[in-house]
Amino acid sequence: MELERPIEQYQSVATWAKGLQEQWGGDPLAEEPERLETLAAFCRFDGRDPEELLAFCFLRRKETGVRFASIKRREAVAEQIRAFRTTSGRSGTEARRLVSHLLSFFIHNGIQMHTGMI
Amino acid sequence: MRIASCAVNAHWLRAVVVQRSEIPQEILDSLKTPVTALVQELAPVHIYCYLDLGSVKKAQGTRLKELVDVGALNPSHGWSHKFVDELVYPQILEPFSEAPAYPVAAAFDCGGAGTQGLLVAVDEGLGVCWTAFNPEPAKEMMDIPDDWLPLYVMNVGYPLESREAGGQRPRPPFEELYFDGKVGRPFPRDPKVVAELKREKMIMPPAPLPSRRQEVRDLSRKLGLPE
Repeated sequence: MELERPIEQYQSVATWAKGLQEQWGGDPLAEEPERLETLAAFCRFDGRDPEELLAFCFLRRKETGVRFASIKRREAVAEQIRAFRTTSGRSGTEARRLVSHLLSFFIHNGIQMHTGMI
Repeated sequence: MRIASCAVNAHWLRAVVVQRSEIPQEILDSLKTPVTALVQELAPVHIYCYLDLGSVKKAQGTRLKELVDVGALNPSHGWSHKFVDELVYPQILEPFSEAPAYPVAAAFDCGGAGTQGLLVAVDEGLGVCWTAFNPEPAKEMMDIPDDWLPLYVMNVGYPLESREAGGQRPRPPFEELYFDGKVGRPFPRDPKVVAELKREKMIMPPAPLPSRRQEVRDLSRKLGLPE
């Protein structure tokens, strides 16, 4: 799946960029283009754009309509990241970097993901 | 933790030490909670802490009498074997061990003992962190008795971060927490005491230390953790 627009134009990517800037200073997404390239490649692999990936992680409670982060949905995304890592052909440090870039995207958008899940 | 000061010498705290490498991955995953999972995943040793609710009734005052025997509790303060046998255990401790407030009081005691263990571990150069854990799989994995109340797990490892760990974490102002005689009248901090504690490094420079962000970033990259 090709994204409809350049990946940096998605709101969730802007949130990610802002989170990284506030956390580390500078402009980490611009300084390390590999991060955006990894997210774009994952979106192509998964078939969803960044906003759709995030929306998938949330459900609403039937009784109250309150939105919550679903553990099962998060696990499903983790499964996709594992599959993406496998198909990437990378191993060792390179594979860990790939995963950590994707987790960073989710974390700065409020979805807690960690390497122990992958 | 074992030799920590303890109310009525009851010693409610129990702990089971488990090597993470010996926990099957499926069980390890089930022990984790959403916000503590990485800590449990990284720490090579887990110390699962419990409160033995049966501790008072099992001892029936015998541990108090041990304190009388060694001179820790003395007639000067009204203590004797007879006092324990006829008043303290049957009229105070046994009924208290059935009262709703009992687990709270015992948990306070466990917290004090456990935290002393935490400090000793840091003094020995280890890295430690309390986290919650899922009690059901833990109970099954470690054959935990029914009357043990799950508390926390102490995650133990070797710290990669600097000893300052980024500096003193933010805490509420002293005067908002502690009072002088009446609630609402702040207990004043003594600047001389504060200065002495800082000299002794009991109070660390406030976080974040200048190098903290870079330290965390370097460690994240070293371990392949997200930024």
